[in-house]
Amino acid sequence: MADVTLTWPKNYNEVPKAAFTRSDLYADEIKRIFHGPEWHPIAHESELPNPGDFKTMRMAGIPLLISRDEAGVVRVFYNACSHRSNQLETAVMGNKTEFECPYHRWLFNAKGDLVGCPNPREFLPGFDKADYPLGQPRFELFYGLIFVTFSAETEPLDEFLGEAGETLRELMAGDGRLKLLGYQKVRYDSNWKGYNDNDGYHAPLLHAAFKMLNWQGGKGRQYTCTKRGHVCFESALSVASGPSVLKDKELIAFKGQDPSVGSRIVQLFPTFVSTKHLDVINLRFATPVDAETTEVHYAYFAHQDDDAEMVRHRLRQSSNLLGPCGLISMEDASIFHRIHIGSHTPGNAIFQKGVRDPGKLESEFLQNDESGNLPRWEYYRSAMGFERAEA
Amino acid sequence: MTATIPELETAIDRLLLADANALDSKDMPGWLANYAEEDQASYYCRAAENTEHNLELGFMFDDCRARLEDRVTYVNEIWAGTFQDYRTRHFVQRVSHRQVDARTVEVVSNFSVFMTPMDAGVTQVLAAGRYLDTMRLSDDGGAKLLSRRAELDTSVLPRYLVYPI
Repeated sequence: MADVTLTWPKNYNEVPKAAFTRSDLYADEIKRIFHGPEWHPIAHESELPNPGDFKTMRMAGIPLLISRDEAGVVRVFYNACSHRSNQLETAVMGNKTEFECPYHRWLFNAKGDLVGCPNPREFLPGFDKADYPLGQPRFELFYGLIFVTFSAETEPLDEFLGEAGETLRELMAGDGRLKLLGYQKVRYDSNWKGYNDNDGYHAPLLHAAFKMLNWQGGKGRQYTCTKRGHVCFESALSVASGPSVLKDKELIAFKGQDPSVGSRIVQLFPTFVSTKHLDVINLRFATPVDAETTEVHYAYFAHQDDDAEMVRHRLRQSSNLLGPCGLISMEDASIFHRIHIGSHTPGNAIFQKGVRDPGKLESEFLQNDESGNLPRWEYYRSAMGFERAEA
Repeated sequence: MTATIPELETAIDRLLLADANALDSKDMPGWLANYAEEDQASYYCRAAENTEHNLELGFMFDDCRARLEDRVTYVNEIWAGTFQDYRTRHFVQRVSHRQVDARTVEVVSNFSVFMTPMDAGVTQVLAAGRYLDTMRLSDDGGAKLLSRRAELDTSVLPRYLVYPI
């Protein structure tokens, strides 16, 4: 029995707008989805390349500390002291092999062991430091991409990813041996589902840049996989040709080796989006902040084998092409906001493009079909325990 | 040119204010006109957090004059009509400068930028940070930007950016 209820339309291509806007759904979403049996990418290990490197972040409110110990092993901890749960590390990133809580001076090593605490003779009889390591969520790595789950019920990561794993591997340069270039971080005034439903891919009609750059796209495969409806796009790269309004054409140049894996998008339920386009490799770590705010950390990468010129090219392309201020994507960010505002109206959002039968879900789509989002919506409905109206 | 310190400070402040005025007026050709006519003229906008960790990636990475000119095209032509427009007000204050040679001065200034979305009408802070500028001085006592790095204290922006900071 659902804690909150929302009647879902009978047609698979209709989504109640209330799903984006009803604030009473949010606590249940956190419980059932974000703290439930889902895997959440939170970092790529190349963000912490050296022994002692760490990163902190929050996923659905939960503070996390990802650290690499002196031996090079990466672990994920709750970023909270095992004593009274004071936030342990405040820096967003850095290098430390020990973490000291300033409140009562409990000291932890990068393996999470409690290695020191003052005056333990005054503690509970039988107090043993070995009983108080930093707490850890379950985590797994996939080609360096670090996933956490807060539920013991979640299936192994390989099963969670399904066929999307192969596309994700290709997206991360085939081997996941990445090198961090930096971040663009932004908050959107959008419910997390508004972000998720409209990032990744959508009609190129939005993007005037494609037309103005003589850039033709739209030839490729879109598929969904697993019961969660992860959405993947695989296309050979199309490179702009003909006259362009740009004076610096390097922005849209492709210098990679293999155009057949030139364009990849992997969107995993619930909020992760990743994309490889031209020479941009971009992992978007997104989390709900509240029912009306989604924070997205766009992390950009080069490959470890790149020479200096290629790193420079990726840096120049990544900064200006695909992020919240990017030439061909700034408008996306605006759509997240506008969808959120517009959804405060009665009725359902009705998906059209690519829908052949509103009574059926499919798993193969054309690249520009919007119907690729529908399996994910069906999973959301079932995860939330919402009943679909009778046909 | 040998400028006195008051003359130099006047030239610097005129340029800082001209840039703020161009941005707040959404006058992109006017913004471009504040940059030196040199191929290496550049504008970067990035979180100071990136810089502090030796990460060069930014929100905007216009490392040559051609990219500055392209940014005018992005705003005035490519993006026109696709976003929720917003007003900005830049407040800028010079905090230090150092003359490198007769034609070049390095300037640090603080900025804060208020944003008012046209649809919602509620003003909020868009970003705060520092401009790290290298300015070219001309014989007539004026100054142009050879390089500007807008280093944002605001590591998480409250929305997407259309206009340079």
